[in-house]
Amino acid sequence: MSTHDLRFTLNGERREVTVPADRLLIDVLRDDCGATGTKLGCAVGVCGACSVLVDGELQSACLLPAVFVEGRSITTVEGLAKHGELNALQEAFIRDGGFQCGICTPGQLIAATALIAAHPEPSDGDIREWMMGNLCRCTGYYGIERAIKSAANV
Amino acid sequence: MKTLERPPGVLSEPEWRVEGRDKVTGAARYAADVRVPNMLHAAFVSSPHAHARIVKVDASAARGMLGVRAVITGADVRPARYGRRLQDWPVLCWDHALFIGDRVAAVAADTPEIADAAARAIAVEYEELPAVLDPEAALAEGAPVLHLDPSPYLYLGGKRPTVPNANVQGYGLHEHGDVDAAFASAHRTFEHRFTLARTHQGYIEPHATLLWLDGDVVRVVSTNKAPYGLRQQMAACLGLPEEKIVVDAGHIGGDFGGKGHSIDEFVLYYLARATGRPVRAVMRYADELQMSATRHGGTITLRTGVDREGKFVAHSARVVFDGGAYAAGKPVATLMPGEAMVTLAGYHLPNVRVEAMTVYTNQIPAGHSRAPGQPQNVFAAESHVDLIARELGLDPLELRERNAIRGGEIDVEGDVWHDSAAHEVLATLRREARWDAARGRGHGRGIALGARPSGRGKSAIALRLDREGRVEVLTAVADQGGGQHTLFQRIVAAELGIPLDRITVRRGTTENTPRDAGIGGSRVTPVQGGAALEAARKLKAKLDEVAPGAPFAEAARRAAPLEIVAEHTSDANVNAVYAYALEVEVDRDTGHLRVLDAVLVADVGTVINPVAARGQLEGGFIFGLGQALMEELRVEDGRVTTTNLGDYKLPTIADAPPLRIVLLTDSPGPGPFGAKSVGELSNPGVGAAVANAVHDACGARVFSLPVTAEKVFSALRTERRAGPQEGWHTDAVRE
Repeated sequence: MSTHDLRFTLNGERREVTVPADRLLIDVLRDDCGATGTKLGCAVGVCGACSVLVDGELQSACLLPAVFVEGRSITTVEGLAKHGELNALQEAFIRDGGFQCGICTPGQLIAATALIAAHPEPSDGDIREWMMGNLCRCTGYYGIERAIKSAANV
Repeated sequence: MKTLERPPGVLSEPEWRVEGRDKVTGAARYAADVRVPNMLHAAFVSSPHAHARIVKVDASAARGMLGVRAVITGADVRPARYGRRLQDWPVLCWDHALFIGDRVAAVAADTPEIADAAARAIAVEYEELPAVLDPEAALAEGAPVLHLDPSPYLYLGGKRPTVPNANVQGYGLHEHGDVDAAFASAHRTFEHRFTLARTHQGYIEPHATLLWLDGDVVRVVSTNKAPYGLRQQMAACLGLPEEKIVVDAGHIGGDFGGKGHSIDEFVLYYLARATGRPVRAVMRYADELQMSATRHGGTITLRTGVDREGKFVAHSARVVFDGGAYAAGKPVATLMPGEAMVTLAGYHLPNVRVEAMTVYTNQIPAGHSRAPGQPQNVFAAESHVDLIARELGLDPLELRERNAIRGGEIDVEGDVWHDSAAHEVLATLRREARWDAARGRGHGRGIALGARPSGRGKSAIALRLDREGRVEVLTAVADQGGGQHTLFQRIVAAELGIPLDRITVRRGTTENTPRDAGIGGSRVTPVQGGAALEAARKLKAKLDEVAPGAPFAEAARRAAPLEIVAEHTSDANVNAVYAYALEVEVDRDTGHLRVLDAVLVADVGTVINPVAARGQLEGGFIFGLGQALMEELRVEDGRVTTTNLGDYKLPTIADAPPLRIVLLTDSPGPGPFGAKSVGELSNPGVGAAVANAVHDACGARVFSLPVTAEKVFSALRTERRAGPQEGWHTDAVRE
């Protein structure tokens, strides 16, 4: 297996890792970078627990070979709070019951960040369409929807 | 009805999860996030046959691979078996494999990739044996006996109850009143049979374990939600003293019953011992769906006799659950799902006979899943009651009103209820769901009534007070999302009359916390919450003793440092009652159904965590809706065919219909300040409410879960051809 030297930005910090060609982004994040906030659930791109932003685009880190992020910028849940201050979405998830066990929450927050970037005032339909790829077994999604709406002021 | 004292003011303050910040920043630590230096990775070899004798295991090629540190087989662990109550599941099989997925060998290697390659290099020779794939076949005379000699199996906490057949795991027979005489004199008698699919708990976090030996101490980082329970099971299975095992549970990424059962922890001990290094295993979701303890599938046959007023005068039931290859996943003494015998919950039933059993088969082992036994039994019960109402020409809600239990009446288990909110729940549902309003064309409405006891058990919690008047709550209770740590904070604050921010909650391991029963059976609020309240009361009494009449801050300055440990047992038999009304739309040409609207009325007592209580009820509804409409762990010839979360469907946000929850808070529960349990209240009733609504919409009756478009379509076709279905339904009329 060929190995590759990768350079990318993770939550604003520059990172360099050497990986085999088949290494997945989820393993690079969790094992090579120690950024365990992003979770591995189904491992087949269905549950959304591993959602990350690659140059602002929503991706499943469990499917994406790490070599594809060369030179790109990745945002994970660890990159949402700035200078220790929770952002509006994070606050809303706590206040409105957007999580229970918390395992899907990093992915939900990332997906919701992408949603609000695309639709600053999302409709119910926008929320359903964008958040459909992120499974949550605890909340029944009602708390997540409340949190997104309150963070987006809709 | 008893009335509640006014709950303390602090309970009306907004709830802010104590672990919220960690969960929204990615800082919360789950078992799979933990790494230690020198860690090895495990992989396993499992049986491709539902029932086979293991002839030979050849691991020589795997042992010779670079980076492989240990390979073990059944011979290395014999006779170790594990389980929550009955330890009947071999750590690795040495003579027989009893289901597809049963493990026969394990590897520890430097990387997960090497471990997988080594596992693939292990050659196992099997002799296939006839598989028993159906409980009725397992019960038949002359059926192969799957566990030939259960006498050495350990049964934790007492003596295993006797069973009527070698292929039976657990058995129960309950009788009260004179059921035969009551049936004989009943005006009409109805019998229906229902079939329930196996389902998976569907937590998003797979089981994960990291285990190492620290001198003679075994350290275990685990996704298990009951650390003391796991410690006891490991000690028994591995032949170690309990105090030499330390379980550290952290945050748990979803449970729903599935995280009480551990699998990898036992075999990792042998790998760690063989290598002298820490070993880690994270289950693949494909393995979760093929070998973890699922919700029981089975059949439920219900028979109920009514008098001329439609009152239930006699009830009998036979519940046959497919327990799969091992009983290891079941924690309760009966080795059945906790509510296996509760076949008609929430009704007054003077004459009852209920027989229930879990049966060994060569299928994936079954275990506990949210409200164990209830989703199955409530589906059967509330479908049955609805069918009876239709046959009697009565409004389904009215039939329930005629039979719902009142204080002083007797339930299906023979327990007399001290108090009952059932009639208030039904009256509220009639009003809030606008039951008497007309339905739209193609629309139907269905209801379901149910009851669930508040959890019981024993726990202990410690409080530490410092000179600044800060209180630390120290608990072994893991966090699987129920909001338990915030619950403790609010209870202690309420009792001490101090602000929430003076209280921190720290979760410890089995090494440094008081013994706890673990999360499960809707226990946390009454039992562990009760321990928190008891600890706060003891602390208050101590402060009064040291500084009588002084304000808290001053008393704390004088009394601190102070540590209080309080134990609490809650064994009160108090039920919470709930009812659903669902509206569905059915396309008669395709069977496609859509849930348009749901109303849940729940009798919850005092609410301590308003956000979490709502979240549990909402989440339970969607959990139940998934099992009602789409979830089925499909099995063909013993092989699970839904092996990923694409094939095993969980509900998404797009599946969540409008839901309105109406809380009844006047009927006090056994928990702190009159709280009841809510975590397992809202999932069991959804299936029947859907089936009843579908029947109301289009006349098609589906007798099995899940209620899919295919089944509705097929029932509609049958009905068109032959009129109302009779095959499942008998109705004897007596004059």
